[in-house]
Amino acid sequence: MDGWIQILVSGLTVGAMYAVSTVSLSLVWGALNVLNMGQGAMLAAGGYIAYTAVMSLGLPIPIAIVVAVIVGALIGGAMYFLIIRFMIGKEGFETNVIVATFGFALILENLVLRLYGAYPLRQPIGLEGGWYFGATHIPYQNMLLVVVSGVLLVAVGYLLKTTQLGRSIRATAQNREATELMGIRISRVFLLVLLIGGGLAAISGIMLSTLTTLAPTMGYDPMLKAFIICVIAGLGNIYGALISAFVLGLFEVSIQFIFGVRFGFPALLLLVILALVWRPYGVFGKRKTERL
Amino acid sequence: MKESSTNIYRRDAVIGIILILIAAILPFVFPTRYVVGQMTIFFVWATVVSQWNLVFGVAGIFSLAQMAIFAMGGYVTGMLGLYLEWPLWVSMFFGGFAAVVFSVIIGIACLRLRGAYVALLTLAISQTMYLLIITDTACFIRQGVTCRNFTGGTRGLARFGDFGFREMLPYKYMAFGDYFLALVVLIFAVAFSIFLIRSPIGLAFQALRDNSNCAVARGISRFKYQLLVFSASAFFTGLAGAVYAGHFRVMGANTLYLNLLLFLLSMLIIGGVGRVWGPLLGAAALMLVDEVLKEFVEWRLAGLGARQHAGHPRRRRQGLRRLRQGFLQDHRRPHHRRGREERLRHADGRSGHGRKKTVRSIRRFHLEWCHRHHTRAMRPTLDRARREISQCQGHPGVHRRCQVRGRGR
Repeated sequence: MDGWIQILVSGLTVGAMYAVSTVSLSLVWGALNVLNMGQGAMLAAGGYIAYTAVMSLGLPIPIAIVVAVIVGALIGGAMYFLIIRFMIGKEGFETNVIVATFGFALILENLVLRLYGAYPLRQPIGLEGGWYFGATHIPYQNMLLVVVSGVLLVAVGYLLKTTQLGRSIRATAQNREATELMGIRISRVFLLVLLIGGGLAAISGIMLSTLTTLAPTMGYDPMLKAFIICVIAGLGNIYGALISAFVLGLFEVSIQFIFGVRFGFPALLLLVILALVWRPYGVFGKRKTERL
Repeated sequence: MKESSTNIYRRDAVIGIILILIAAILPFVFPTRYVVGQMTIFFVWATVVSQWNLVFGVAGIFSLAQMAIFAMGGYVTGMLGLYLEWPLWVSMFFGGFAAVVFSVIIGIACLRLRGAYVALLTLAISQTMYLLIITDTACFIRQGVTCRNFTGGTRGLARFGDFGFREMLPYKYMAFGDYFLALVVLIFAVAFSIFLIRSPIGLAFQALRDNSNCAVARGISRFKYQLLVFSASAFFTGLAGAVYAGHFRVMGANTLYLNLLLFLLSMLIIGGVGRVWGPLLGAAALMLVDEVLKEFVEWRLAGLGARQHAGHPRRRRQGLRRLRQGFLQDHRRPHHRRGREERLRHADGRSGHGRKKTVRSIRRFHLEWCHRHHTRAMRPTLDRARREISQCQGHPGVHRRCQVRGRGR
């Protein structure tokens, strides 16, 4: 019994980790068709900035988080001005953007490596203590993670669904050219989405680094999982991503518990492939009709 | 038609023979081990990129599994050499076949999907392979006191021998064996890709890429043809993996690093996706840049990133335009040049050769039609509308048209 509660708790935590790293990716993909390979490095950068703000500058924790979000948004903006601006609407956009954002990620990662070194650091932001449920220890940090990931995803979903900005973002996602013909500046939508995406990535980075440690490459694994979750949810589907993240987190942890840690990820992948054979546009995705 | 198709091949053949001659003379001009070794690696990457180009550029499948297929070829070759003690000359072909089988499995899993879904899933598959290899710690065989695991784990698979050029060739020319082996594999790979691109099947791929709905409506099975090109391109990729393993005498999970994958992808993109000779040029260019940047080890990776930025289409087009016009061949051009009537006449003229041939050539005509009429037909109208809008954005309310649209955010 205790074992299963433990699985449930760590499954939810892992699911929340996935969900939290999926938010920004899902937003940027859904709105811009930009597969942001720089996501992993942006997560790491967010964690490190918060670390610097607390440890070196001595800022209180809430302000440190705000600083990290602002700097994260600036990184997203830099990505727009340095790379994506030049590629919008060009032939082979989706492909080139993958390579270019990966280049950006390499620069960012090496910058972090040079500034902080490869030695893992401990993230000072985080809640201490926990709550005992029977014999199972549930750290407050894990609960916070579940809550924050849920709140972020719902907030982004709300932003996309109801606001004016959200409407223009969705219009851009559906048909870039038609949106442009309606008088919406595509370039501004791109910039705003990347700013928001950068800020969200910073929050995700802080949340992730509180559970593990800070390392320049800490973002890669969450990024890969986030990719998979985006795919299974249907690319750009935010609420679908929330559900998939938790389901897959629980599934992976159960497999790891039953068959061994090695097989968690392969089993996850197998499940995803089966799900996609069943529904090629993602479990929550809608089939797009194409006009000839 | 006969005339023009021989022309196409003649041009490729001339370029090919010149390049082969240069490659054959090069090691005798610069006989240092370093140059020969780097060129060998270049041939291996060029082989991979030329086959990737078939999948990615010609068939338009956004696959990132190429290095997984490459690693499969290398690992199977190494394992056959290590566990069954087969000579590498035999096992390399089995490595190639294993790569084909592997890629058919990946293809069945992924090719029902489209676009970025394929990219993400294939990336995930290659990362899974990486994770499974580096977390492999179970004992498979014992060699004395040391315990070896099945895949070699983080240390890599070793001790499966090499191609035996060390014994065959005098010391001075030792490195030449691998060099020419890699070159031969590259030549076959490129020849294969040229024939595939120019063949009717190749036309089907291109039609699927440019206007898949149109092609499907004209009786091309998307899944079948994409699976075909996906598995066909795997053989030489696997063979390249085998040559890589034999050259370094070790096969490690480092071939599955994301950095390497993206390095090869940028070769493909900078060289020109979907062209015959472009990927080779891209591979050569990036190998050279990499060589230069090695001097500045600390900033090498950052430079790699910057270089990939330089690969974005606008700058790329400026830089390589002249080269491309003169030297690289756009495979689309021949189809554009030939008139529609001429091809219709051609389809009729073939009726004497039997019904099957006529049907095939009519199908060919239809596919060329798909190939040409992709969505870009809309471009001029759109451009005009966009110009009008941009005028309006500066001066809202000047034109009546602008007032209506001025409400947009």
